Amino acid sequence: MTLLLHTWQFFTQHPGTIWRHTLQQLYLVAIPMSAAIVVAVPLTMLATRVRWLYGPVMGFANAMQTIPSLALLAIMIAIGLGIGVLPAVLALFLYALMPIVRNTYVGIMGVDPGVKDAARGMGVTSWQLLWMVEMPLALHVIIAGIRSSLVATIGFATLASLIGAGGLGSLIMEGMGMASNSIVLAGTIPAIVLAFLAEGLMGGLERALTPRGLRV
Amino acid sequence: MTNGEAILEFRGVTKSFGGRAPAVRGFTLSVPRGQLVVLIGPSGCGKTTTLRMVNRLIEPTAGAIWIEGRDCKTYNPVELRRRLGYVIQRIGLMPHLTIADNISFVLRFMGQPPAARRARAAELLEMVGLAPEEYLDRFPAELSGGQQQRIGVLRALAHDPDIILMDEPFGALDPLMREQLQEEFKRLLRTVSKTIVFVTHDMDEALLMADVIVLMKDGQIVQVAPPEDMLRNPADEFVASFIGRHRVLRQASEVSVADVMIASPAMTGAANGLARSLELMRRRRVNSLLVHDQEGRFEGVVRQADLQQHIEDGDQSPVGSLADRAVEALSPSDSGLTAMHRLLEHQRADSLPVLDENHRIVGLVTRGTLVGLLGDALRVASGVQDLNVADPTLPAPASGEMAP
Repeated sequence: MTLLLHTWQFFTQHPGTIWRHTLQQLYLVAIPMSAAIVVAVPLTMLATRVRWLYGPVMGFANAMQTIPSLALLAIMIAIGLGIGVLPAVLALFLYALMPIVRNTYVGIMGVDPGVKDAARGMGVTSWQLLWMVEMPLALHVIIAGIRSSLVATIGFATLASLIGAGGLGSLIMEGMGMASNSIVLAGTIPAIVLAFLAEGLMGGLERALTPRGLRV
Repeated sequence: MTNGEAILEFRGVTKSFGGRAPAVRGFTLSVPRGQLVVLIGPSGCGKTTTLRMVNRLIEPTAGAIWIEGRDCKTYNPVELRRRLGYVIQRIGLMPHLTIADNISFVLRFMGQPPAARRARAAELLEMVGLAPEEYLDRFPAELSGGQQQRIGVLRALAHDPDIILMDEPFGALDPLMREQLQEEFKRLLRTVSKTIVFVTHDMDEALLMADVIVLMKDGQIVQVAPPEDMLRNPADEFVASFIGRHRVLRQASEVSVADVMIASPAMTGAANGLARSLELMRRRRVNSLLVHDQEGRFEGVVRQADLQQHIEDGDQSPVGSLADRAVEALSPSDSGLTAMHRLLEHQRADSLPVLDENHRIVGLVTRGTLVGLLGDALRVASGVQDLNVADPTLPAPASGEMAP
């Protein structure tokens, strides 16, 4: 009970600190996530046309996700990127790729071959096939990939403070250093709330983008 | 159908995939405008490959396909496909689009305004008796398989193409639905004159739909003929065996009595008692028995009414004494046509025994048997011309008199 009280006190006494860290956390998530979406979705779509691309793209994304997250951060330092926001963003970007690549590929390849055959036979161009058939049908699957990638990234971003990128993780580290559980909670609670918010929002988006014809 | 100019021509078309034997070899065929040509053959015979080369979903390795006097290769593939209709077994409706948008899918790419597309979709729905207001805004998943394929066919008609390619369009439907759609489609074709290339592996379907059947095997054409000709004159053993049971139905004059007779008719020994024979009739559900002697030779026919009368009268004599010997008989080698004539001459008999050269009973031909034979002959004929053009070699008054 006292812990909760102390945490509450910390929230009310240092709203600026918490807000600043949360904002940092948001940047740490938004920048690598946006980059991952912008890179992974088109590249994977290209890989559904140019088949040999899929192996290298998926292989790379998979390898990045397989490396333990802490090790990935350490590697950023080892390859000379030093510490700070840039190496953290790069590490988070690499880590976020895999679920997006996987779901984009599965989503597009999973469109009924009969539908694609019929569309092609009716004279749609390869581009139209992608935009007017495959994309609408795969979109909710792609969003599901972005969703799991986003939630993982929010979690991973708290570790980025270890290489000096700031964010809610640094609040947690600070609390642990001072043996103050209330400060630790002041960092973890917003991180948890962010994760749940992201999960809920993306779930809603996924449902909204599922074509009506697939919901019946 | 019309003997117009060839709208579609295959000129020595060959397709090989990798190092294997070619899937299609030297395929040459000329399709006149307005005809429905069925490509048929066992799986792997190259029929679907041939079809898909027409709209260039597959490119031929050698040879050329000409459409309306122009080599396919000179068309842009996308442009070419928009000139053709395409219906496939997997239906392939766009699940995220409404029925209206599905039917008018090609029109959208041809730049037609939404209102015109919707109007066209409604018009087509009405053609197959589906209420537009009920279907236009529904999604494919809300429709049954049969309804979905109806939409699939309408979609191929939306842009009014001259040629429609159909790859086993009714193959995924249950038999009842398939028959219904085949009939509907034939009716539809009478209102819209189209040239159709139709792939199937179902001979019944081919006989029903085709103006011309192209039978393929191992990538080559084995025979090209209208259904009736193919049934009568199969080019070789393979064609005959592929046509299978239909071959038996060719013509009453070519079918022998041995092919159609009941091989184990209800019989009784001449020495048997009357009551026992009556009981046998009851069990076999027949109203007459063939009576034979100890060697199995034909002694005559005994009828239920006679038996009952004599039993009521207390007659104790064996059944042989009641046998009617004045019955004409058939030989197993007689033709179906002869059997029909004999039965028609003998108004009194509704069946005739079939006897071998030693007068032994080998079977029975009933009116029912022959009606079945005649029905099949009519059905085969109706696959070619629209209906009621019976085989001229059949006795003309037959249909009226043969009713059981």
